[in-house]
Amino acid sequence: MSTRRVVVTGAGVISSIGTGVGEFAEALRAGRSGVRPISRFDTTGFAHANGCEVTDFDPGKWIRTVDTESLGPAARFATAAARMAVSDAGLDEDALAEQRCLISIGTTDGESQDLDRMVGMSIDGGPQAMDPVLARRISAGRLSTAIARELRLRNAEAATIATACSAGNYAIGNGLDAIRLGEVDFALCGGADAICRKTFTIFYRLRSIAPDCCRPFDRDRMGILTGEGAGVLMLESLDSALARGARIYSEVLGYEMSCDANHPVAPHQPSLARCMELALRDAGVKPEEVDLISAHGTGTKANDLTETRAIRDVYGETVPRVVSMKSMLGHTMGAASAMAAIGCSLAIDRGFIPPTINHVETDPECAIDCVPNVSVPADLRIVQNNGWAFGGNNAVVVLGKYDPDEDRVRRKAG
Amino acid sequence: MSTTELVISAWSAISPFGYGRDAFARGVLDRRDTAAPVDRDRWSVPDSTACVVPDFDPRVVLGSKGTRAMNRVSGLAVATTGQLLDDIHFAPGEDTGFVLGTTTGSAQSMMDFTRTSLTEDKPFHVEPANAPGCVMNCAAGQAAIWHGMQGPNTTIAAGRATGLMALKYTRRLLLAGRADKVLCGVAEEYSDARAWLEYHRRGGGNVMGEGCAILLLELASKVAADRSPLATVAGIDVQVCLDGDVAGTLRVLVRRLLDEVGIEPSQVWSACADASAGAEEAVLREMFGDDAAEVVPSLDLIGDTSAASAMFQVAAVLSVAASDPRSSGRYAVVSAVDDHGAVASVLLRLHPPAGRSGDE
Repeated sequence: MSTRRVVVTGAGVISSIGTGVGEFAEALRAGRSGVRPISRFDTTGFAHANGCEVTDFDPGKWIRTVDTESLGPAARFATAAARMAVSDAGLDEDALAEQRCLISIGTTDGESQDLDRMVGMSIDGGPQAMDPVLARRISAGRLSTAIARELRLRNAEAATIATACSAGNYAIGNGLDAIRLGEVDFALCGGADAICRKTFTIFYRLRSIAPDCCRPFDRDRMGILTGEGAGVLMLESLDSALARGARIYSEVLGYEMSCDANHPVAPHQPSLARCMELALRDAGVKPEEVDLISAHGTGTKANDLTETRAIRDVYGETVPRVVSMKSMLGHTMGAASAMAAIGCSLAIDRGFIPPTINHVETDPECAIDCVPNVSVPADLRIVQNNGWAFGGNNAVVVLGKYDPDEDRVRRKAG
Repeated sequence: MSTTELVISAWSAISPFGYGRDAFARGVLDRRDTAAPVDRDRWSVPDSTACVVPDFDPRVVLGSKGTRAMNRVSGLAVATTGQLLDDIHFAPGEDTGFVLGTTTGSAQSMMDFTRTSLTEDKPFHVEPANAPGCVMNCAAGQAAIWHGMQGPNTTIAAGRATGLMALKYTRRLLLAGRADKVLCGVAEEYSDARAWLEYHRRGGGNVMGEGCAILLLELASKVAADRSPLATVAGIDVQVCLDGDVAGTLRVLVRRLLDEVGIEPSQVWSACADASAGAEEAVLREMFGDDAAEVVPSLDLIGDTSAASAMFQVAAVLSVAASDPRSSGRYAVVSAVDDHGAVASVLLRLHPPAGRSGDE
């Protein structure tokens, strides 16, 4: 087994609170909220319909090679974020194009926004009336191949991970393993989703959409707000990053997955705990070494209670601070854990903890310090990033400050 | 035996040929075309003919408990997984991974849900029991619940290249030590929604198929004593075709794969193209000759199974190899091409039939 170390050398973000790492980091530090009334679909008939939409996205600014009309909204987000990540990593696109690389984009809904539109066409004019342009955009694999086409990455392994709301962490872990095993030196990993009627309606019907804003861990939390956007990380072998003098945001220390095999939508405490334990073991990290947990933290009654209990199962009574970036970003579905991983990397790099906003009173049953409302300066060495999903698909990524003197992977092997 | 040698040690399928490995193998060996007139009472599709799994209904095949809201693709995945686990008498747990390929989950479940939201009195008058089936990982999650698979559970999508991408992902899981065994498959359902999407996507003219094929992958060093490897996954390589020259990309890819593994074209017993791609078939025929191109039939026999096509082609190779002694110790190439550029190829080394468990 290879002991190659893996670092994050670039990131691209499109979110309701900012585009690009600079804006995104400052928004997280400032505790900005992306909430506004949903405009992507007609919300008539819903008693409330706030969401966290991206309002200032100009695909043409980032997508130059591929015809944007051939891409659905999720593929556009993914492709734009990937180009940002390559640029942020200081990599020359022509040089990268010759490299073997992995492209792994996670998603919950793929191009469900297009499917929704086709249903509308079908209701009005029968199935014959559906737009072929939209039909050609539906295959979820295109979220990843679009990036290869746009960046001319012919030696890419491009596949989409469709494990719902933990898919971003799955994708990062996939990149971690591909680099550790020596298959590639570069991996563009992350997640993308666009707000759609289908998923909003699912959560609304399950009484899991908050009427106003998302309040993770609060006594009066009422659910999620659906969000959208993309987060793509440039993962790189440490050797490659050092050889080219790249800036290193963070090191990917480890990850792991578990499957509840229990209930299609309800989180399962023992399985979440097992996933965290396995990820920490993969990272060669003990719970007491972790400085911060970036929670899945959706703001539903069930998630926040089950998640904090599972955290205590692993951490005992000395739990580090636990924040939810979904308070600011909404639940960006397959993009969520990728955006949070970028947030963690920026927090490590810039020395702060993003707050959990909209917070009034912590639920005594959650009983954690969620860094309410205002970010705090902090020297973060190790951060755990949680992602859970419908289908019982759990994935946890462990990130750390890059320290040339400490080789955790080797420590684990020894 | 290398500690990184990856083998296929069992497989099963539900397809238009029927249920189980033997039914699939018989259909392949008989080269039976399963296209039949569409049942107009059952389907509202633009197709006149299609290849559907005979008499498939999750409630009939799996029983009424826990299947009330189960969609067709989940039913196919749950039932095929059950067949495979029964064949090998294996009870999965925390070390068993499950990797399932898809195009976009159940387009039917997703579109039905949206349709209900748009047409009922209130947009939220939808059936909550149908919600889990509207997410792309529904089939993998259901299979995990039914069969107790608590290890890594991944849904993967790469268009027509999905089956081979799933194999590559599975190899990585096993080499990284994230699972002891991985059930790796692909499932695709026939439905009104998928038929219409494909009709619009391709402008009509294709005969659609459906089904699920699942392979058991494990490291050769860890295969249980009562099971013998059927084939070694000698290599998998993938590329993205950027210039539209699919044939050229595939030729380079397969050449590279042979070089990496260190074999000559003469050692290749079978070379299978993706069922519907003419240029691809011609490349393989040119590289490996007519015998290799024809020994395993094209799975046009079960229609266009989209994301499942390459995995079914692998199952067809295993089916023919089991009854053809010339395959022994030689290689099979299976390739797949997606119209958005993904090109993939796997090289399998076939083990001697004597070493294969449960052979006819």
